[in-house]
Amino acid sequence: MGILEMQHISKAFGGVIALTDVHLTVEAGEIHALLGENGAGKSTLMNILTGVITTDTGEILFDGKSYPNPTIAMMERAGIAFVHQEVNVVNDLAVFENIFLNRELKTKLGLLNRKQMIEEAGQLFTRLGVDMDPCSMVSELKTSQKQLLEISRALHANAKMLILDEPTTALSTQEVEHLFGILRKLKAQGHSFIFISHKMPEIFEIADRYTVLRNGMFISSGFITDTTPHQIATDMVGEQYLDKDYYIPRPLGETIVELRNVTGRGFSDVSLEIKKGEIIAFTGLAGCGASEIMQTMFGVLPFEGGVIRVEGKSLRGAIPHFMKSKIAMLPSNRKENSVVPDMDILDNTCIAEHALSKKQQMISTKHELTRYEDLKKLLWIKAGSPKESILSLSGGNQQKVFLARWLNTDADVLLLDNPTQGVDVGAKAEIYRLILEFAARGMTVIINTLEIPEIKKVSDRCVVFFEGHVAKIFQHDEINEQDVMLYSTNAINTRGGANHAG
Amino acid sequence: MRANKGVFAGIGSLLSKAWKRYSFIFVFAIVLLVYAFTIEANGNTFKWGHITAILASQNTVIVGTMALGMALVIITGQIDLSVGSALVLCSGVSIMAFNLTNSVIITLLAAVAAGALCGLINGVLAGYAKMPPFIVTLGTMLIYRSLMLSVVREIDPAITGSSSSQFALLSENSSYDFLRMKFGTGSLPGVSIPYITFVFVAVMLIILLVSRRTKYGKSVYAVGSNEKAAFLAGINVQGVKVSVFVITGILVGIAAFVQACKIGNVTPASSGKSYEMYAIAAVVLGGIGMSGGKGNLLGVFFGALSYTTINFIIVSIPALTTDIQDTFQGLVLIVVILVQTVGPVLKERFAEARKRRLTRKVARKELADSKA
Repeated sequence: MGILEMQHISKAFGGVIALTDVHLTVEAGEIHALLGENGAGKSTLMNILTGVITTDTGEILFDGKSYPNPTIAMMERAGIAFVHQEVNVVNDLAVFENIFLNRELKTKLGLLNRKQMIEEAGQLFTRLGVDMDPCSMVSELKTSQKQLLEISRALHANAKMLILDEPTTALSTQEVEHLFGILRKLKAQGHSFIFISHKMPEIFEIADRYTVLRNGMFISSGFITDTTPHQIATDMVGEQYLDKDYYIPRPLGETIVELRNVTGRGFSDVSLEIKKGEIIAFTGLAGCGASEIMQTMFGVLPFEGGVIRVEGKSLRGAIPHFMKSKIAMLPSNRKENSVVPDMDILDNTCIAEHALSKKQQMISTKHELTRYEDLKKLLWIKAGSPKESILSLSGGNQQKVFLARWLNTDADVLLLDNPTQGVDVGAKAEIYRLILEFAARGMTVIINTLEIPEIKKVSDRCVVFFEGHVAKIFQHDEINEQDVMLYSTNAINTRGGANHAG
Repeated sequence: MRANKGVFAGIGSLLSKAWKRYSFIFVFAIVLLVYAFTIEANGNTFKWGHITAILASQNTVIVGTMALGMALVIITGQIDLSVGSALVLCSGVSIMAFNLTNSVIITLLAAVAAGALCGLINGVLAGYAKMPPFIVTLGTMLIYRSLMLSVVREIDPAITGSSSSQFALLSENSSYDFLRMKFGTGSLPGVSIPYITFVFVAVMLIILLVSRRTKYGKSVYAVGSNEKAAFLAGINVQGVKVSVFVITGILVGIAAFVQACKIGNVTPASSGKSYEMYAIAAVVLGGIGMSGGKGNLLGVFFGALSYTTINFIIVSIPALTTDIQDTFQGLVLIVVILVQTVGPVLKERFAEARKRRLTRKVARKELADSKA
C-alpha cells in the first residue's frame, strides 16, 4: 500500500479524452518518475491529484484517506504540494515572507513577527542544506534558487509529497546535482516525490520507480533498476513513432533570410543566413531569446540594431509589412495567441489572408471553402463542418488549422514558435512530417522548440541559443540531445560540463 | 410511442438550435404578444396601426440606428457612452446647415460629417492613445452636449431657427415641406410604414452585409474575440478599434438627420438624454454579448423593436405612472442579461450532474453484475 493510490482515473474535456483508466501508485519515501510526452496526460493527472480539476471517474487514496472530490485546499492540507515548471514565488517579497505567505507568524498585538519568521526560515534552510539568506529579495534570486525556495516553502507547510514538474529545465549541471542532493536527503527523511521530466539520464540517476503514460493511457510501471532508457522511450512514444527518421537531404536554394548583427529585446548581435528550402531549428532554455528573435523576424517586437533582409530587401515595421514579404509566424501558446474562440473553423483559417488581401473587401465563401478543403486535405485536419466552432477541435487539429491559416497566405518563410506545445503524439509526428513536406515544396521553415529528438528528425541545422546569443550551430549530422543540452545550459563553459563533453 | 418521442425530440432540438441562434426574434415575438394582450385587456383591438407605431417610434428608428454602431463598438470589446450627446450635436449642426443653405444634401452631409468627427475623436483617444473607452466617451458625452448648450445661446436665432434655447428647422425655407412633412413624418401609402423606418432598415442591411460578408467585418469580431491573436494574424487592431467609433459617429449623424426631420427641432438640454443607455439596451436585447467577439447585427434590429414595444407596454398599463417606467425597463434588461449569462452556466451544471448520475448508475450496475 503506497502513500498515494490513484485508480481508474478517466477525464474528458468536452469531446477530447485526456485520460482513460489511469493508475498511479507512489510509495512513501520514494522518488517516482512520471513519464510521457507532451500531451500524454501527465499534467491532467497531476491537476486532478491537486484538486485543480475534477476527475470523471476513479478514486484517489492519499495517506490512507480517500478523496472522492478533492479541492485545492483539501489536497494542500493533506500534504501534497505542486512545484510548478514556471516558478510560483512572489518576486516583490523577501525570501522569508514567501515561506510564510498566508501563514505569517504574528506577535501578541497581531503584528508580523519578522524576527521569528527569519529565524525559522534560517533553521529550515540549514535542515535542508539550502544556502540562502532569508532576508534577500526573491527578485534577486536565480531560477534554481527560486525553485529551492518553492520546495522549502512546501516542506515548511508540512508537505508529505511534492510534485516536481520538470524541475531541471532551467538549471545548469551543477545546480541539478545540488537539487538532487537535497532530494536524496529529503527522501531519506521519508518525503515522497513525483518527478516529471523528459531527460532520461536524470531519471536514471534520481528516480526509484516510474510510471509511463501515453495518449492518456497507463502504459507501464516498475523499478528503474529493472528497465533501460530505450525501453522507457519506446513506452513513451510508442513503437511506430520511434526511430523513424523522416529526414531527407535536399538541395538548398539561395539565401532567402539574412540576419546581420540583429539586436532586440532579450537577444543581441545575432547573425544568421538561411537558405531557401532549409529547415532550421532554434533551441535553448526558457528565456534564451529564440522566441524573441522569431517575433522580431515577424515585426511583433521591434529591433534596436542590425538588419533583417528577406530576399535581399531590408525589412522593418509592423506585422503586415513582414506578411507582404511572404513571412508567416505561428506563435507559441496557441490558446492565447492563435485561437479566436468566437469564430468558426473557416474564419479562423482565413483571418490572416483577409488581413493580407484587404484591398479586396468582399468575401467569396465559395472560394474560401475550396481553399479550406484543399488545406484540410493537405494537413489531414480532422474536423466536421467548417462552420463549427474552433473550440470543438482537439489541440492538434486546432494547431493544424492555424498552420492552414498561414499556408493560406502563400508565405515563403514559415516561422513556427513551439508548434507542438500541447499537441498529442500522433498530431505531433504529423506536424513534423508536414514541415518536411513544406520544405520539399521550397518553403523555408524555422522552428523554435525544445524537442531535440524531433529536431534531429527534420532539421538541416540547429541553432542553440544561450542568454540571447548564438551558442552553437549544429549541422544535421552533428545534432544529438546531449551536446545540444550542453550548449543550451552553457555547461560547455563550466568545468563539470567540459569534462563531460570530453 | 417511441417514434412519437423521436419526432418531438427532433422538433425540440431544432427549436433549441433556433432559439440559440435567433433568440432575439423569440424575445420580440414574446414581447409583441404581451403587448397585444395588454391592448386587448384595455378593451381595444390590436391592429396593424400598433405595429406601424412601433416601427415609427424614435426608440426604434433613432435609437436603433445608433445601436447598430454601438453593437460594432461592443463587439470589439469597447463602449461608447457619448452617442446621446453626439446626437444632439449632430442635430444642431444639421439644423443650422439647413437654415443657412436650405439644401437637403448639405443638411445630411453636415450631420454625417459632425458625427464622423465626434466618433473620430472618441476613436483616436480610445484606440491610439489607449485610454479606456468608458472614460473617454464619458468625457466626450459631457463635452458634446455642453458645447451645444452654450452654442445655442450664443448664435443668432436666425441660424438656430429658434429663440428658446433650441435648434429648429426654419419653416420658411422652401425645402422644409419636403424634409419635414414628406420625409420626416410621412409614410409609404398603402402599408403606412414611415419613410424613416426604411432609412433604418437600409442602414441595418448595409451594416449586416459589412459585418458578415467583408473582411473588415470579420476583423471586428476577431479583435473583440481575441485581440492578441488578431494582432498576430496581421490585423490592424488599433485601426479597427478607431473605425468602429467612426462608423458609430456616422450612424449617429444619420440618426440626427432623421430626428431633425421627424421632430423639426432639438433641445440640447433635454434631447437624446440617456439614449446611450437605450442603445446599449437594444444591443443587449439583440443578443450581443457584452464581453465582445460575438453577436448577430440582425439582433440589434429586433432588439430595438423589442425595446420600443416594452416601452409601449409600460405606457399602455394605466396603473403605471411614467415615473416608474424606468424601473420596468431596467428590470427587463437585467432579466435578459441574466438569461444570457446564467443560462449557459445552468445548462452546463445540469449536463454535468446528469453525466455524474449516469456514471454512478453504470458503476452500481457493474458492481451488481460482478456480485451476481
